[in-house]
Amino acid sequence: MKRSLVLGAAFGAVLSLPVAAQTLNVVTAGDTNMVDYINDYLGPLFESQNSGVTVRALGTGPGDGGSQALYEKLSAQQGNDVWDVDVGVVHQRMAGQMVTEGLLQSYRDKTATGALVTADSAENALGVDVGGYVMPMFQSQIAIAYNPALVTTPPQSYADLADWAAANPGQFGYNGITGGMAGVGFVFGWMYAFSDMSETLRNGPFDAASAASWTPALDGLKQFNTVATITPGNAGTLDALNRGEIAMGPVWMDMFYTWVADGRLNPDLKLLIPAPGMPGQPMYYVVPEKAAEAELAVKFIELATSPEVQAEGIVRRFNWLPGIDANAVKENLTAEEWGALFTDVSPEVLAERGLSMPQADYFRTILETYERQVAN
Amino acid sequence: MPTADASSSPLRGILPGLVLIFPALLAIALLYVVPLARSVVFAFVDADGGLTTAHLRTAVELYGRDVVFTVLVALASLMLISVVSIAIAGYLTLGATPWAVTALRWLYRWPLFIPFIVAGQTARNFLARNGLMNSLLIDSGLMDPATAQSLLDWRGLVLTFAWKQVPFVTLLLAGAMASVDRSTVEAARNMGAGRLRCLIEILLPQVRGTLLVGLILSLVTIMSVLSVPMMVIAGNPTMMTSMMAHRVTYYGDYAVANALGLFSYLITAVAAYAYLRMTLTQHNEGAR
Repeated sequence: MKRSLVLGAAFGAVLSLPVAAQTLNVVTAGDTNMVDYINDYLGPLFESQNSGVTVRALGTGPGDGGSQALYEKLSAQQGNDVWDVDVGVVHQRMAGQMVTEGLLQSYRDKTATGALVTADSAENALGVDVGGYVMPMFQSQIAIAYNPALVTTPPQSYADLADWAAANPGQFGYNGITGGMAGVGFVFGWMYAFSDMSETLRNGPFDAASAASWTPALDGLKQFNTVATITPGNAGTLDALNRGEIAMGPVWMDMFYTWVADGRLNPDLKLLIPAPGMPGQPMYYVVPEKAAEAELAVKFIELATSPEVQAEGIVRRFNWLPGIDANAVKENLTAEEWGALFTDVSPEVLAERGLSMPQADYFRTILETYERQVAN
Repeated sequence: MPTADASSSPLRGILPGLVLIFPALLAIALLYVVPLARSVVFAFVDADGGLTTAHLRTAVELYGRDVVFTVLVALASLMLISVVSIAIAGYLTLGATPWAVTALRWLYRWPLFIPFIVAGQTARNFLARNGLMNSLLIDSGLMDPATAQSLLDWRGLVLTFAWKQVPFVTLLLAGAMASVDRSTVEAARNMGAGRLRCLIEILLPQVRGTLLVGLILSLVTIMSVLSVPMMVIAGNPTMMTSMMAHRVTYYGDYAVANALGLFSYLITAVAAYAYLRMTLTQHNEGAR
């Protein structure tokens, strides 16, 4: 609370405060923790700095489906003069589509924090140029969680992982591609490792015919699935790890840390990212083209992407990796807090093996080819 | 018998009735018929607005197994539901131990008040390999830890659906059994028939209609639940609802999801037809 007041005072001095009754509608995709983040932390902070403003947060559901819902909401209002969403928080794939269809406005240059945005993903979202239209809220990363009591020498690459799983049937678990993004990300990592077109998968250009060359990689995955355990969902993998049913499985790093912090997960479990890497993704703040409170929205995002808020909210409270330049955030954290973020996965490994999701068309094609060749 | 006034002007007789049912008809048309028609149409329309069966073919190719799985799981669940609810309703009607009947009457309805998603989460913790059920069995020495296996597959689905729907069917069935003329049962008992025989040969034939209604309504519920297969089933095959959600979530593809929906409509339409036929027959019998 005290910290919020200090932050509030600091920003109050910088920003001018309009005194009028305004409502800022923030619509966010993602799990309930996204709505919690706005309702419990960011919203009250913004309201305390802008008297007369009420921040109203609405969640549209987890995963790409949540972003899809926001897209449909905006798309349906296209004919109206004013839209009822001021700030949107969306995943990469939908952000690209929304920019392409002219549903978003370019606002980054209007913010004071725009210069702190350094990530590649802020310019390019799965093959679509989104520079100026988005600012990353945070970066999240998929990694393999393992139980050191059961895995003494953890595999360091996908190839080693496949060997390990074959030698330890049933001990590797993941949630397939229908149970959440951790499993989907694992499959993308597999394709990066075994398809011989890792770069193209991520950056394009898209060629539908290339799917034919994936057969060996997918056959390998089908083989792998016979010795792997399929878990129900992202949380299902963590639950199974916790109950000792599996020894290894892909998880979202932030979810992992949050569960450990909440005492819901065995704190002895560790994380690693096997070579050549696993995908991660940011979530973006966006401002719809015809937002009713566009100026206020930009101000809100400016606060949300400030180093102080990124340190306190994104890293300290929610265990996400910062969306803006990490060095700017580092100053606002203790060495211990900063270290906790990289206990198992060093910043160097993260930089080398933290890859982006595949380009949007490949994203879809990999999933569909998996359904055709691996799941059936 | 129509009154003389109404028969001279049929419209005047019908009009108040029409006005009365109009809001209900409108609600059904707007909230049910229009969305249904739209989704059926979209299953056959391609991106350019032309007619196509591509979505249907994709649905069959990728999710044919899931459709079959759904039908089998639904049938298995209905069988388990019938057996258990007949047993419970039978005991409630014929049971001779008053305290046991009271306790059962008190207990069996509880799952009615538990939402599906909670039932799904409970099943997930209860039926997992190292879940509550196996832990209890292992701790009590009834099971060897090495033989413990996860029931989180079709068996978990059948158990969860049955657990959720048994109270509902039992409620209907026990009500129907209670209203059956007891003299037939008592006559059979006097002639030396056991309680099980009374249940199967005397009570059950008289409440068959009610049982069927309960099962049909359960089938429609089972076909529409998304949370339970999402939480219980890992990987494929799974229930159709899961795959419809998957199509929308990962591909934004409503066309194939609608094509999958068609199979749901077909299956439930068969049940709906049986239901309508039965209520009509009952209605006609009542009218005679």
